[in-house]
Amino acid sequence: MSTQTPDAFQVLADPSRRQILHLLTKNSLTINALAENFDMSRPAISKHIKILNGAGFISIEDIGRERHCILKQDGFNEVQEWVHYFDKFWISKLKKLEIALDNRAKNKK
Amino acid sequence: MNIKHTWSLDHPVDVVWEYLTTAELLAQWLMENDFKPIVGHKFQFHSKPVAKFGFDGNIYCEVLEIIPFKKLSYSWKGGPGKGKITLDSVVVWTLVPKDNGTLLMLEHKGFTGMKNFIGYLFMNSGWKTKIRKKFMAFLALKQKQ
Repeated sequence: MSTQTPDAFQVLADPSRRQILHLLTKNSLTINALAENFDMSRPAISKHIKILNGAGFISIEDIGRERHCILKQDGFNEVQEWVHYFDKFWISKLKKLEIALDNRAKNKK
Repeated sequence: MNIKHTWSLDHPVDVVWEYLTTAELLAQWLMENDFKPIVGHKFQFHSKPVAKFGFDGNIYCEVLEIIPFKKLSYSWKGGPGKGKITLDSVVVWTLVPKDNGTLLMLEHKGFTGMKNFIGYLFMNSGWKTKIRKKFMAFLALKQKQ
């Protein structure tokens, strides 16, 4: 039996996991450093980190003796870029539509 | 994460509708295409590629809904090419008559894909505004780099 991986929704539905992501936006942190921000056991934190890692939101790298959690930005940036691009795209296209309609009306007169 | 624009046009809904649903007229202001106003019709738009985020310039669409002179929606998919889709979204046009003109509303929504859910979650009230703002500022900064 394969273990079921939670979808991104389930992963982010948990406030502690969102808080972990937020903490990681400032810096990469060790699991211990992360745990200091929470009122829960180290194994409980590890479990959350495992879930975030499994869903691809963060990566874990061994630096020296410590395990560092690092926010993965690829996915975030990708969607930002698409949204940013099409937002501008539509404004310019809507302007073109308005011009096309105005020209049509003028030619009819 | 949705894109929304409302455009006020001094032209009646039937004319605006024509410009949204006729391939030759669409090509005048949007992109080259093989659109047909038939639910289930699959078509494509062609524009310039954007290498920066892996977009080959082709938009793969399927007509999802048509309510003549009121609403039109189609799927809007794109990616780096060779059939790989990294953008899976939906475009919805809504037309409302206003005086002698038309209020044209565009909604480009459902920027899905696993990671993209995070944007959707930012909209949730459960996430404190302050944290959200900081996170968004961070993302904007990263994007510039």
